[in-house]
Amino acid sequence: MTFYDSFCIPFIVGAIYMALKVLWKYLSWLRNLPASDLKLIAKGLFTHRTLTATWEVVRESLLHARIWRVDARLGYMHTSLAFGWFLLIVVGWVETIAYLGFRWIPLQGHVFFKYFVPLNNITQHKPVFDFLMDALLLFVLSGVALAWWKRHRSRSLGMKRTTRHNTLDRVALSALWVVFPARLVAESITAALYGGGSFLTTGFGSLLDYFFKTSTLRALYEPSWWVYSSALGLFFLTMPFSRYMHIFTEIPLIFLRHYRLRPTAEEKSYDNFEIEACSRCGICIDPCQLQSQLGNHEVQSVYFLRDRRYKMLQQKVAYDCLMCGRCEQVCPVGINLNTLRLNSRVAMRNTPNEGRYSYLRSIDPSQGSGKVGYFAGCMTLLTPKTLHSMQRIFDAAHVDVWWADRSGGVCCGRPLMLSGEIDAAQKMVDRNRELFLEAGITTLVTSCPICLRVFRESYNLEGIEVLHHSEYILRLIQQGRLQLRHTTDSFTYHDPCELGRGSGIYDEPRAVIEAVGTLLEAEHNRRNAFCCGSSVANTAISDSQQQTIASKVGAELEATGASTIVTACPLCKKAIMRGSTTPVADLSEIVAESILH
Amino acid sequence: MKHIIIIGSGVAGLRCAIELSHLGIRTTILEKQSTIGGKVRGWYKLFPSFTSADDVVGELLRQVTSSEHITIRTECEAVGITPHVVTLRGGEQLECDAVVVASGFELFDARQKEEYGYGIYDNVITSADLEDMFNRRAVKLTNGGSPRRIALLHCVGSRDAKVCQHHCSKVCCVTGVKQAMELKKMFPTADIFNFYMDIRMFGPGYEEMYREAQADYNIHFVRGRISEVSPTIDNRLQIKAEDTLTGRPLKMGVDMLVLLIGMKAGASNALYESECNLRRHESGFMQPRDHFLGNTESNVKGIFYAGTVTAPKTIGESLNEAVVVAHSAAEWIKHTA
Repeated sequence: MTFYDSFCIPFIVGAIYMALKVLWKYLSWLRNLPASDLKLIAKGLFTHRTLTATWEVVRESLLHARIWRVDARLGYMHTSLAFGWFLLIVVGWVETIAYLGFRWIPLQGHVFFKYFVPLNNITQHKPVFDFLMDALLLFVLSGVALAWWKRHRSRSLGMKRTTRHNTLDRVALSALWVVFPARLVAESITAALYGGGSFLTTGFGSLLDYFFKTSTLRALYEPSWWVYSSALGLFFLTMPFSRYMHIFTEIPLIFLRHYRLRPTAEEKSYDNFEIEACSRCGICIDPCQLQSQLGNHEVQSVYFLRDRRYKMLQQKVAYDCLMCGRCEQVCPVGINLNTLRLNSRVAMRNTPNEGRYSYLRSIDPSQGSGKVGYFAGCMTLLTPKTLHSMQRIFDAAHVDVWWADRSGGVCCGRPLMLSGEIDAAQKMVDRNRELFLEAGITTLVTSCPICLRVFRESYNLEGIEVLHHSEYILRLIQQGRLQLRHTTDSFTYHDPCELGRGSGIYDEPRAVIEAVGTLLEAEHNRRNAFCCGSSVANTAISDSQQQTIASKVGAELEATGASTIVTACPLCKKAIMRGSTTPVADLSEIVAESILH
Repeated sequence: MKHIIIIGSGVAGLRCAIELSHLGIRTTILEKQSTIGGKVRGWYKLFPSFTSADDVVGELLRQVTSSEHITIRTECEAVGITPHVVTLRGGEQLECDAVVVASGFELFDARQKEEYGYGIYDNVITSADLEDMFNRRAVKLTNGGSPRRIALLHCVGSRDAKVCQHHCSKVCCVTGVKQAMELKKMFPTADIFNFYMDIRMFGPGYEEMYREAQADYNIHFVRGRISEVSPTIDNRLQIKAEDTLTGRPLKMGVDMLVLLIGMKAGASNALYESECNLRRHESGFMQPRDHFLGNTESNVKGIFYAGTVTAPKTIGESLNEAVVVAHSAAEWIKHTA
């Protein structure tokens, strides 16, 4: 039995090209990894991490567990395509072994097995395999049908919007859609002419036999296998350049992630694995408020990653993002979308004049002495009610405070970091860090989640516990150092992005609110909370656009019927005030108002 | 007899009703508040002549109340407007032959600029508060004392993208100069500073006032916006600003800070747009049909605009528009008869 026919050429060419191209990509990415990353791989390779990564590959690359959590129909679609195809290949291999025993058979022999070994050529027929293969083909076809349906009616699969694809993606997509129907037709014609097959191919074969003359089927026999092979070949040829690169790339990505590789403030070779693991499924589009509330359809993470991958990223895309993290929250591949966007901004940054920030060294606006330090931050200085409330809270709890910046100070650095200016930001980080360490504080409290994040993530403040004021106030209440009056007032709470999704602080502010009144939850809260729209990370949208977002967010908060909107970020407070007629207060204000004397 | 409904009893609405009564047309003035006369009633002296606001509003009210053609209804809010029917909140419908919308503006809420401490610190007041203090002869610090140093901050809620008030409110510059002069007269030894972005002295006599304020009253003008205000231990106010002419940051302790609040589009304008098909400018003010040949007309024939409903204006400009509208409306109802 020879396992070759001229129709196999498109498939063979495509498969070999794809294998070489993908391998080349991975090797060059791995070769360019920084030494520290390579060390991490070496350290993790022979540990349990490899096993847990393998398990995740099964769960995510084959079963797509995370997409099931977004929407079950969407999950089924991805599972049927990925896992179904995978099983078709595996069961196909077992089938060839079952028929022909252990012997070497070229790749096309497995793929086009039904062509090379129709029923009349073998001694013992194995209907179980025919049934299994037909069932799997039906499974995959159902996925293809759903995918096709999704393209036209995405809403019915739980997605309001779906990705706008480029030409190459469309070609690859069309080829992929043709592969399985073509396989059905080719195998059905084969079954009709030479027997074999099971319920699907035999059934469809009989149907074809009923409608067409046998001579017609004979004439269509070879071309049908050509179509199948060509569709496969075309798909393989386009695959390394299209979104379908994700099929393989997610696998090394999962392993690397388990070996603790992460994207960093500056671009590096590892980013390629994350970027090309994006399947452009478009799940990130719906949560984006720039899209749903401002009608901007060009900048979502899927398009950002695409532009970056094809090296056509423009500033207007890189900078037009609130970095609210709502897309990262739902990304089924778990791509670090914010970090990647940030390091793109870093790559586009300006180099500051070295002398420009030299004056920082002479700045020391701190006052008082105490083991507890308080950092207001620029935005709290612009919302002085918060500062005053903190003063009252500290006084009531008899806390000696070292005021880092009560009359103005050095910026925490995060706004500059968020716009990619990491060199300039570092100067501020260094100066503030110096001041904190010199002051000899053991606790650093801030009422600004933007400052909080940078203190925790980039300051390296050994020996100093960094707390958001919501955490600190709750601690004072729990320790009995702050006596509050519980009122009948009702409050609703807006989760700031940097505090909630950014720092994982959801419960503490809520506990504090419940200590002084009733908390009414808004429709989108906690991990799904909206961004207020005034994020310092977005330098592209206008103030009016910020206000548009704020009024939508404000309307949802007002719908709770609460008499006061509470938040725990000075920037969110200012933003929501612009978009709402209900009073907006920082957490500290409602606490200070309720202090019992 | 023809009947026109005028929405708003500010100077524009009153003046329009008077002019229409001279033309023999009956009018009904609808006022949302319980008293008539609009915002000008709250002012003290008017720039550039230092005419008493009471004299102006008083004369208008005298003429309005003495005219048999004018009906006034207070606590009436128009929620639906067509040229022939005005619907009030509560459902009542009034018939008419034309409508003049003269519902004016709102004052910018200074609490939105929390960094200036209005409503938080003592002795931070708005220009409207100061007019009220002048009227009550009660310009003093919260502790009863006299201010030794006063700062007036221009453009609070005007030309400020951060609060989405992109427009210039037009009258605050000259109001700042006027109030600075009045304060100086009241407290001759006090130092008075005006912090401004640009000084826009567009009207007759305004530039002269500005010169006089500097030359004769020794009022200081600093080009730069105040960025933050904080209280000091001795209960004064510390302001931070940048003197953009010398390019240096500046800190100053003052006893009183006056925020020259801008004009914000009327609160009813959104309703006019959504319920009455009237066009609204991005700034929130109503959009006249044409800037040159239809400046007092709306996009709906038979609905007219007078005064600050379409843009910030001076009292004089609003009064002039009211006269124009009266004649246009009278002309219009003649042709639709």
